[in-house]
Amino acid sequence: MSKNYYLPQGNEVELFDASASMNLPVLIKGPTGCGKTRFIEYMGERLNRKVYTVVCHDDLSAADLVGRHLINENGTFWQDGPLTKAVREGGICYLDEIIEARKDTTVVLHSLADYRRVLPIDRTGEVIEAHPDFMLVVSYNPGYQNVLKGMKPSTKQRFISLSFDYPKPDIERQVLVNESGVYEQTAQKLVDIASEIRQLDDTDIQEAVSTRLLIYAGKLIVKGFDPYQACMHTIVESLSDESDVLEVLEKLITLHFTKHDNA
Amino acid sequence: MLHYWLEFEESMGKVWDKYLNKKVHKLHEEQRVYFEDISKPLHIFHRLMGGEKAKELRITDKRYVETSRTLLEKISFLGKEFFLTWQDDESVYIPASFAYFSTKEENEMLYYWLVAMAAQVENITNNNLIEKNQYAIDYLTKRYSGFDIFYKNATEYLMDKYEQLSFLKSLDEQSNQALIDDYPNPLWIYPRAITLSYANNIENEEEPTREEGKDKSEELQMKKQANQIDDKHETDGFLAFLPESLMSIFEQVNVDRLEDDSFDKDALYHAEDLDEITIGQKQANLSSRIKMDLELLQDTTVTYPLGKGHYLDEWDYKKNDYLVKYARILPQITMNVIPIELPQRLKKTVKKIQAELDILQLNRIKNDRLPYGDELNMDAWIEYMSHQNKSMHHQNFYTSYEKKTRDMSTLLLADISLSTEGGITQDIRIIDVIKDSLMVFSEALEKLEDKFAIYTFSSLQNKKVYFNIIKNFKDKYNALIRGRIESIKPQYYTRMGTAIRESIDILDRQQSSNKLLLVISDGKPNDEDRYDGRYGIEDTKKALQEAKKKGITPFCITIDLDAKEYLNYLFGSNGYAIVRDGQKLPKVLTEVYINLTK
Repeated sequence: MSKNYYLPQGNEVELFDASASMNLPVLIKGPTGCGKTRFIEYMGERLNRKVYTVVCHDDLSAADLVGRHLINENGTFWQDGPLTKAVREGGICYLDEIIEARKDTTVVLHSLADYRRVLPIDRTGEVIEAHPDFMLVVSYNPGYQNVLKGMKPSTKQRFISLSFDYPKPDIERQVLVNESGVYEQTAQKLVDIASEIRQLDDTDIQEAVSTRLLIYAGKLIVKGFDPYQACMHTIVESLSDESDVLEVLEKLITLHFTKHDNA
Repeated sequence: MLHYWLEFEESMGKVWDKYLNKKVHKLHEEQRVYFEDISKPLHIFHRLMGGEKAKELRITDKRYVETSRTLLEKISFLGKEFFLTWQDDESVYIPASFAYFSTKEENEMLYYWLVAMAAQVENITNNNLIEKNQYAIDYLTKRYSGFDIFYKNATEYLMDKYEQLSFLKSLDEQSNQALIDDYPNPLWIYPRAITLSYANNIENEEEPTREEGKDKSEELQMKKQANQIDDKHETDGFLAFLPESLMSIFEQVNVDRLEDDSFDKDALYHAEDLDEITIGQKQANLSSRIKMDLELLQDTTVTYPLGKGHYLDEWDYKKNDYLVKYARILPQITMNVIPIELPQRLKKTVKKIQAELDILQLNRIKNDRLPYGDELNMDAWIEYMSHQNKSMHHQNFYTSYEKKTRDMSTLLLADISLSTEGGITQDIRIIDVIKDSLMVFSEALEKLEDKFAIYTFSSLQNKKVYFNIIKNFKDKYNALIRGRIESIKPQYYTRMGTAIRESIDILDRQQSSNKLLLVISDGKPNDEDRYDGRYGIEDTKKALQEAKKKGITPFCITIDLDAKEYLNYLFGSNGYAIVRDGQKLPKVLTEVYINLTK
């Protein structure tokens, strides 16, 4: 039995399978909490490959990916980074939120992401040829636009791209039931709330409610929280700090789940 | 004696009036909820419920309904005027306040209910009134348990208080249309009152110099029942006649509503009071249309041209080629400005934004591998240790964090065409908000120590594209710059492409590796000549492409609500922001900048 539950939304599983078999790198873009990371974990299990996840940030240096020298009692020794490990042993190296990393860091991926499939390491003078099971996967959220950051076109154009969005209502409901254990009916209500909130655009809220938040709400409800309270603490408060927006979102929740003052 | 008697009579009258009102209205005055107070959440709610994004929410005017009135209502002349909820392509019209129910929550809920209904109901007419409303009610009550409870309670309560509404009980088998038309249900959406088709049909014998007067009436916050009369024959005067129940007086004065677009609070006030606004077709003589500007304060500032200007290319989409050296840019600077301090009204906003910047620590930059510094960089040292030939290796083992200007140059280009003279509210013009934004933004960038420049532009055809210098990159931001911002005046048109090309030239001369071009505008590119519509948009698009080629990132912030389509085309889906609430522009502008560059 698989430990990662994933319900496909389209042809992403087939595409990923094909890319893996042809040794092509994959880029996944989509809003926060729509299932990007879960998908990779699921695919890792399906293809029986280990997943090395690196969450990118602006201080991430090439050494954090490739590896560095460390010291022990005998002096210095070389320690492989997650990328090098995956390249040597085979596995999926997953760089989450790659946009957060500085552009010069991601350049080390270039020789791995095209037909060469090699990783040169300057410090040790090694050139490692990638294991047949090595696969490079990166993801980012196109919602956060930034002048200073962003993927270089030369990096972007080396990937098979998959675009993710929030799941369709039916699928999302099933995901909710499966992940949080709420009743079908409550799950449907949560999905309704989400589909309404997703009608607002970025002038009202920065980003719409994610499937992940809905699962949190579902989990709180299963734990015995009043649905109104559960939604307030997961969906409403997490989405905005503006009083007008909060007021409306709260109204929306009360319309779906009647408020109990004693809760 | 008489004096006492009169006073007694008056107070008796008041009591009687109050009694009647209470008896007839059955309203809960102390629980009254006003649209004004919750208009913003309602707007968002309307979008949330799937209502068309561009639609506005406005206050509706009363309308007359032929009702069967109770005796008391007849005595008190009440029960004939109703405020109904309706909508057209542009707006949803809602009553200004509600006091039907005994709690504030329920009265407020009525607003949310109607907004949700309006988002569901489309193309309602007198014929499908019941089906459409019933359909929307079914949908809302099924989907939202909160609305279900509200609707049941509200209907029950209303049927109890207003016996005429009892037809709601048996709506399904109700065939008596008259009964339904008799008394409007506050929970329903109604068709629009009178279409203006009649007004449009009137033949215009005189030369049509202006579009319909309809546009002008938009100054009114509420929609009036419009009536158009044929006043081509002189019948000025005073008319009195007896409508059904009370004598009313109609006054016909030759006011040229087509021409008179000055904003007059008094007029607005009277318009609210009048039952109908009648629009005539008469127009003022051309000779009387000259606008006089004599009362303007004398302005001591002088705009001083810097040189004779220079020519830039312009893109002609029809020829699919550049018109070489076609548009002339005229750089100018305003002299004699009075240096000013930051206006009091902006101090709070600036403080808040600066506090946000402190938290973000945007200006903390890490410098690795220095020969000396705050912290030891272990990586650098280990690397050195592992290096075979240590003497060949550098010995820069330190890291330090310092406040350092980021490698960023931002050019702010503000559109100051005449359209910015337009009002956001009755007292605040777009140009005022732009000025405030420029000041707040400058304060923020000054705090960040980022390099920035500010220019404004306006144009009179291709030979005169004015490019006003507020602050060059090398200028220091100070009271004089604030003075220049304060002295900005709206003028002429928007030849955006030319101004963008000039900005590109300036940004291109900067050494920074990141260059941002922020355009603030209130509408489409346009000018007096053919620079309008597609031509202007294509030229601007071309100019923006040139910017991107030179490594400049353009971003547009606009207050134009209908802007979405062409902005998407010009700047790309992630390249612009629309500010709905113009007064938030100062804050939004800075936030956008921080988001873009953090």
